[in-house]
Parts: sequence; structure tokens; C-alpha cells
Amino acid sequence: MNIKILDSWLREYLKTDATPKQIAEKLSLTSVSVERIEKYKNDFLYDIEVTTNRPDLMSLTGLARETAAILSENNMQARFVAPKIVHPKQIKVIETITIKNNEKLVNRICAVVMEVTANQSSKIIKERLESTDIRSLSNLIDVTNYVMRVIGHPTHVFDYDRLATKTLTIRESKPGEEIITLDKKIYKLPGGDIVATNDKGEVVDLLGIMGLEKSVVTNQTKRILFFIDNNEAGHIRKTSMSTGIRSEATVINEKAIDPELAMDALLYGIQLFEKIADGKVVSDIIDIYPNKQKIPTIIVTETKINNLIGVVIPLKKAADMLFQLGFEVKIENSNLIARPPSFRTKDIQMPEDIIEEIARIYGYHNIPNSLPPLNTAAIINDDTNPFSWEDMAKDTLKYWGFTEVYTYPMVSETLFEGPLEDAVTIQNPLSEDMVYMRRTLVPSLLQVVSKNKNHPEIKIFEIANVYHKRQNNLPNELLRFAGVIKKSAISFYEVKGLIEQLLIELGIKNLVFKPLEKGGDGATVFFDKEKLGDIEILDSETIDFELDFQLLLKHATRKKAYQPLSKYPSVIEDLAIVAPATILTGDLIELIQKQSTLIKKVSLLDKYEETRTFHIIYQSYQKNLTSDDVVPVRMKILNSLKEKYNARLKE
Amino acid sequence: MQEQLLRLKNNALSLILESNSVKDLEEIRLQFLGRNGELTQLLKNLPKVALEDRPEVGRIANEVKRILEDTIKQRENEIGKKKIQTTTLDVTEPGIRPPLGHLHLVTQAIRDITEIFERIGFARVRHPEVEWDWYAFTSLNFPDNHPARDDWETFFIKQKPDTKKGPVVLTPHTSSGQVRELEKEEIPIKMLNIAKCYRRQSDVSHAPMFHQFEGLVVDENISIRHLKGTLDYFVKSYFGKKRKSRIRPYHFQFTEPSFEVDISCGVCEGKGCKLCKEGWLELGGAGMVHPNVLKNGGVNPEKYTGFAFGWGVERVLMMKEGIEIDDLRLLYSNDLDFLKQF
Repeated sequence: MNIKILDSWLREYLKTDATPKQIAEKLSLTSVSVERIEKYKNDFLYDIEVTTNRPDLMSLTGLARETAAILSENNMQARFVAPKIVHPKQIKVIETITIKNNEKLVNRICAVVMEVTANQSSKIIKERLESTDIRSLSNLIDVTNYVMRVIGHPTHVFDYDRLATKTLTIRESKPGEEIITLDKKIYKLPGGDIVATNDKGEVVDLLGIMGLEKSVVTNQTKRILFFIDNNEAGHIRKTSMSTGIRSEATVINEKAIDPELAMDALLYGIQLFEKIADGKVVSDIIDIYPNKQKIPTIIVTETKINNLIGVVIPLKKAADMLFQLGFEVKIENSNLIARPPSFRTKDIQMPEDIIEEIARIYGYHNIPNSLPPLNTAAIINDDTNPFSWEDMAKDTLKYWGFTEVYTYPMVSETLFEGPLEDAVTIQNPLSEDMVYMRRTLVPSLLQVVSKNKNHPEIKIFEIANVYHKRQNNLPNELLRFAGVIKKSAISFYEVKGLIEQLLIELGIKNLVFKPLEKGGDGATVFFDKEKLGDIEILDSETIDFELDFQLLLKHATRKKAYQPLSKYPSVIEDLAIVAPATILTGDLIELIQKQSTLIKKVSLLDKYEETRTFHIIYQSYQKNLTSDDVVPVRMKILNSLKEKYNARLKE
Repeated sequence: MQEQLLRLKNNALSLILESNSVKDLEEIRLQFLGRNGELTQLLKNLPKVALEDRPEVGRIANEVKRILEDTIKQRENEIGKKKIQTTTLDVTEPGIRPPLGHLHLVTQAIRDITEIFERIGFARVRHPEVEWDWYAFTSLNFPDNHPARDDWETFFIKQKPDTKKGPVVLTPHTSSGQVRELEKEEIPIKMLNIAKCYRRQSDVSHAPMFHQFEGLVVDENISIRHLKGTLDYFVKSYFGKKRKSRIRPYHFQFTEPSFEVDISCGVCEGKGCKLCKEGWLELGGAGMVHPNVLKNGGVNPEKYTGFAFGWGVERVLMMKEGIEIDDLRLLYSNDLDFLKQF
């Protein structure tokens, strides 16, 4: 949340010689970030981002107090001047109103009835409010906002006569209750919102969020109920999110404001009404405060302070810093005993919180930089490091002309492969396109292909998780490696070769390709008996593949094996074999290979109609091969081919 | 005789070197080395040479022959090259390149980041993307009513919540890996967790899926100075030596103290400009690990301390490259015209 504050306004509560630039710099480095300072008429305007744990700084008082402490610690003259808070004198009680609180909903209520004159605010009040992004409306409304900015507690004002009730009852709203807010918008409440009702049981206020049309002050207002409600923050946030109302007050109220500020806000507001609206108090001052907040006592040791910050800060100096920030501090032995001010109790709960205060005031920029010690280091073995294999696979494909894509793992029903009851399903999806956690990558890649119709040739890949549902457990996240190639007259063997070559790069050889298990054109790829994945021919120009990368990781290896080179030359011959087309080339090669240890390598050289020519390399480690050695092997090959597959040498 | 041979050699050489065409060279070869060439003619006089001088003259004659042949060949090559260069080679025609694809920008950034942190002893790990609420929120000290747990912020999975670990979510941050890492009981820890994260928002500066990198260091006596040192090392390694880093107070549930990390603006070098906030750019959050988080991971906060940071990969990428992508979702729209630019 951001707050904009005029320099001159801040200086009503902060007496210092520091320049706006110095103030901005010190605040940013040690407290809250001043995102900008800009010239504003003859003044400067700070735009400050306040973190959610410091709602106390959403006010001039808070900022002035904090800035004074920081500047003093940085050896600059600075003093915090708190706004004067006085109790109204000699109240003549004319009116009485009863407030029935629900202490689970509202922590504290301070209220008073006043006679007033509605009017325009003075120029200075208007200007100050407008500089802080609040629209000036009438003096009655302006007071509530002005008090909120000075003290930091949101406040509210009802038209007492329009309210026309003797009792104000705080309760939770029922689902569907309808209200009209002061900006004349109609809302149906979700239920569980904090509302106030009048004698007739009508809702007259949506507490902590926004006033209602029914009870808002007008130009005719003569009497007001000035009302400070310190609400349970969770309720406020819920109402705000479900109704979408994000008023300035809401933003502050949902952060849990210090209830101690409520009375200050009331008294300061009374003074302002007296000053700018001829205000006169006509009721007792109501203060309903059932549960005072407890202020913790926190003990922190000197060793802990110094160890966590990484520099030695004398305990006395640390105590001074805390004192400046409004803490009660004692030093006992080598311990600091500290109690935070009321406006910090939500934020300061344990020793580390105290250390944070000391460290930031000491100045994070004053702490030297050093790298953490390297006494030991994680052992990263490339063979077992999945990331290095991933890199290798990605690089290889990149240099073969592939483009890597990143697609969303959440997919639509159309892209999800498999029965929907197997899907890891998102309960609150952003759109119908992103409901299921995918079980396969290929559909997402095919979607990319169809999105890029302007490219006649596409080669893409992705390495990402798929998600397999498990009962009463987290889904199994499995790394997959998938790709799609689209080009005219693509050959299955291009993709097969690509996978073979890539896997050789990963140290995985001797893959087995079998017809596609799930049917259709393509192949299922095995290593040993394990299924690595599928190659799928979609049409004459599109082929996809998806492999189990985890399985690849299991077998990937950088192991190098030395095979002694033979001193003797090889004998090479090509055999043209006529065999029925139904016989698989792989089976023929396997059979030939098996016939002799002298056969070093067999490969398919050519295929024409029923004739397949095999390129055979014979080699021995013991001697020069002669035809006496080769002929018997060749005979054996031809015999076995004939016997098993009815294949013969072409004449 | 020797003199005649040398003269012949010199004459021939100067003719060869002055020649400008293969045809001329062929003529020169015939003139000197041909069957009726000058060298052959000259050697016909060999019998006239004194017997004892003949071997020496023979040797010189052979050498002259070899030199002339080599030089002719050499000149031929020169002329040939010149010919290609001057007549048929259009160097402006496109070269034939080997295929070159493209790694996704995010992969490139992840590699850069990993390399930097590995140099100072961090090791990359992987933790679940679909995770129990316990690891994503509760163990990280998020109160029950924290806004991040609202179903308009975080994706929830349709599944019966576990009695202990709560509902299942898509990890909204890499911090979900912190307690998982602590549970390994391998201190000292220097974790680098880079992973996909998911938040329920989609606009020009948010994609529902994005990437974070998370560092976690836990050991005895780990202090704010170590956090500062590590972040500064990253900033200077990744963005450049000139860049400065600073930490400012901030607020997160799972760190205490918490910091916002800024780097000096690369455009104005810290002077302040339209692109930055008073000379600084916000990089992301960091902090000292909250004692409750250590406890939840089974680590004794009295003995060990640690720091953590978790930043957007896309964010540092954009900040580094100065590529002003007007819609972050473009990174994941997989338009090949976009991806092929990098």
C-alpha cells in the first residue's frame, strides 16, 4: 500500500534540518521505501510504499516518529512532535446512544455525538487531502480523512438524525442482505460482514469498509455520530475482496490497526470538528474496549544479535535505537529485554524481530558483504546430475535446428490425453483452457504447430513434467522429452535416426523399435525391456515423439569404453538378399550378425523391391582374413537366411 | 654446364612468375621441360662433361627440373584461385549454414543463473511443482488467513486435503522447496531451486505460469553479511561489474528480517531516471530464514541460521537484456517468429 505525504505537512510533526532528499534516502534504506519525491507546487511530495507489517506508518504521526528515530541515529538533528491530543472540556450531555458491540468482530469502538455546521473545508485542508489522493468533499467528511492521515486510524461519521436510533447493534451480516453504499451502489452482502443496525434492524453501516447512503452526512447535517471502529482484520479483508470495495479505510483496516490509536483519533477529530465545523460535543464519550492488547516482553542475547547481523553492535547502542523507536528497553547481563510500543505489537513477537529493528537502524548498507563459507560443497557428479543431461539433450537438438518451446502444463479438456478421472484437476482454473495438469506433452506441441501455420517447416521440442494422479498422495511428476517435426514428405527414418543419434549422445545404444503399441503408424522405442516412448506418424508431413526423460536419465552415461583396434584390415562385402517384404530388416540383420564373431558390423545399404543389400564388415583381431575365412561365414549366413526366412542371395 | 643450367633455371622461373594464364604456363613447361625442351637439349651435352663432374651436374639438373615443376604447379594454383575469386565468386550470395535452432529465453537465463551460483558452491535441486499446502504455506509461517492462500491468488487441486499436510496447490513460489530441503538433514545447505511456479493471474506483466530461482543457505553463524555478499556476487556476475546492489527492509512471512533487494539502474547508473525509482530497480525479496521455518524443517534454530531469496527468472531476464517485451505472456505464446529471435 502506498501513501503520499507533503513534506510541509510531515514537518508539522518532524522538526529537522534534513532535506527531503535526505529524508527519502534514509527512510528507503532503513524503513519503508520512498518510491518517488516530486516537486508539488512550492512543496515536495513523498510517495511511500508501506509494507503490510507496518500499518502504523500509514500516517503522519507514524512516519514522523520513525523518521525522527532514523535521522537521529544517522547523526542528524531530528525531533518528533506528537499532535496535541486534549479531552473536550465541560461536556453538556444532551444525547445518549447505546452501542451493542460483538467483541469477536470489533476490538474497540470510540464514539461521540456532536452538533456541527456542514460547510466547505479550508484551503489548506483541501490541499493537503488532495495531495494525499483523497478527494475533499465537505468539512464533515474531510475531518474523518484528515484524522486518518494524521493519526493513522480510519474514522467514520454518521448523520445522527438520519441514523435516528437509540441503539446501534454490531453483528455479522446474513448472506444476501442488501445495502446501498454512500456512492449509491447496491451490493448483496456475502454474509459474515461486520454491519451495524438501527432500532428497526436495518443495516446502517458496513463497518471498516464504507458508509451507507442511508446514514451518510449531507449538506443539511446538524448533528453527527463520530465513530471510530477498530475491526477484526480478517473480516474486513474478506468483505473487501468479495465486494470489491477498496477504499482507503479498507486498505488500512485489513492490516490490523493498533486499537490504542482509536481514542487518539476520536479526540483529535473532536478538536478538528470544533475548529472547522463549529463542533460541540453533546454526548458522553463512548469507549468500548473489552480486550486490551497484550504487549509481549522479548529477551534477546547479545551473541544472537551479533551472529545474525554479522557485525558487533554494542548492546548499549542497540538499546538506544530501540528506545528511539518507542520500545521499552532494559539491559540485563548481556541480554536486551524489550517491549514494543502498542502500534508494533502485531509485528514484534520474537528475538529476530528485535534484531531486525537493530539491524535496519544500524543500516544494512553499513554491514559488509562476504560470501558464505565454503567448508564443504555439494558434490555434483555429471553422470548423475539430471540438469547436465537435460542441457546436453537441449543443446543437441538446438544444433540440429530445433526450437525449444515452453507450453503451459495446464491444458483444456481437448488437449488432455486419457480419461478425465485420471486428471490432476485444478479446482479454481483461470479459464477452460487451463483446467487439467497434462499427462502428455505432444498435444501442447501440436497446438504450437497449428498456431504457427505461416511456417512451412517446423521443428520444436520441450522438456517438461507430466502429472500422474495418485490416490491420497501428490501426483507423480515425470519429466518428458517431446518433439514435433513438420515438413513436406517427412520420413519416419529421419525421426528414428534423430532419436537414435541423440540417445547415443546420452550414452544409450542398442534401442529396439517395435510397431506402435497403441496402434496407428509409428514405433514404440525400447531400451532393454523398458519402454522409452513413442514415435507417431500423424500425417504425410507431421511426426511427433515423446520419450520418458527420467528413464533416459537412469541409463544415460558418459562412460567411455576403449576397444582395441585390430591390426588386421577388414574385409567388406555387400550381399544382395531377396526376402519376402514381410520380413523385418532388423530381424535379418540380427540373424546375420549372430552367425560369426568375425562379423564386425552389418548394415542395410540399399532396398529395392524385394531385394535388400547388406553391407557386411568382417574383421579379426588375430590375423589377416582370407577368402578361406570369409567364404564359410558367408555360406553360414546364406543358409541361415534361407532356413529361417526363406531368403536367398540375388542372382 | 652448371652455369648454363642455372641460367636456364633463372630464365624459366622469371617467365613462370610473370605468366598469367594456365595456357602460358603450359607453353613454358613445354619450352623448358618438354621432350624437345631446353633442359633436355642441354642435357644432351652431358657426355661432354668431365667424368668426375657428371654426378654433380646430374644432381643439379634434377634439382632444376624439380624446382621448375613445383613452381609451375604453384603458379597454376595461384592463377586458378585468382580466376575463381575474380570471375565466379559472388561473396554476397547467402552462405549454406548448418541447421541452428533456438533455446527458449528462459532456458538461457536458467543456465546463466545456475552457472553463477554453482561457482560459489550452490547445487541445483528439484522439488514438487504440485505440492501440499504444508510446504507451500503453513510450514513457511503463512497464517491461515493470509491473502496468498485465497483461491483468487493460488491454484488449488481438486483432491481431498491431507489431515496433516492440508490441500494440494500448484506451487506459487520456489520457497515451497525450503522445508523439503531442510528435511534432507544435510547441513550445510546451499540450495538453488529453479522451477515453474503458478499464480492465478494473467495480464501483461503476469503469466499464470512463470519461473523462480530460490537460494537457501543454512549453516552455523550464517548472517546478513553472507546474504549481502551472495546477492552482490550474483548481481555483479549476472548484470555486470558496474552494477551495485542494496537491501532494504521489507516484509515476508517466512523470513525475519526480510529484505527487498535493489540493483542500481543500468540506464542512468543510479542517478535516477524514468525507468527506475530514484536510481534503483527492485530485483526481488530475500531474508534470514524465519526460526519457525527452520523448526518446521527439523532444524534447530538455536544452532543454525540461514538466508533465502526467491526471484523471478523472467524478471531478471528482462532486466538484463533490456528487451522490452510489452506482454510477458509472449514468452509462453510460442510464436516461432518470436522464439527464433533469440
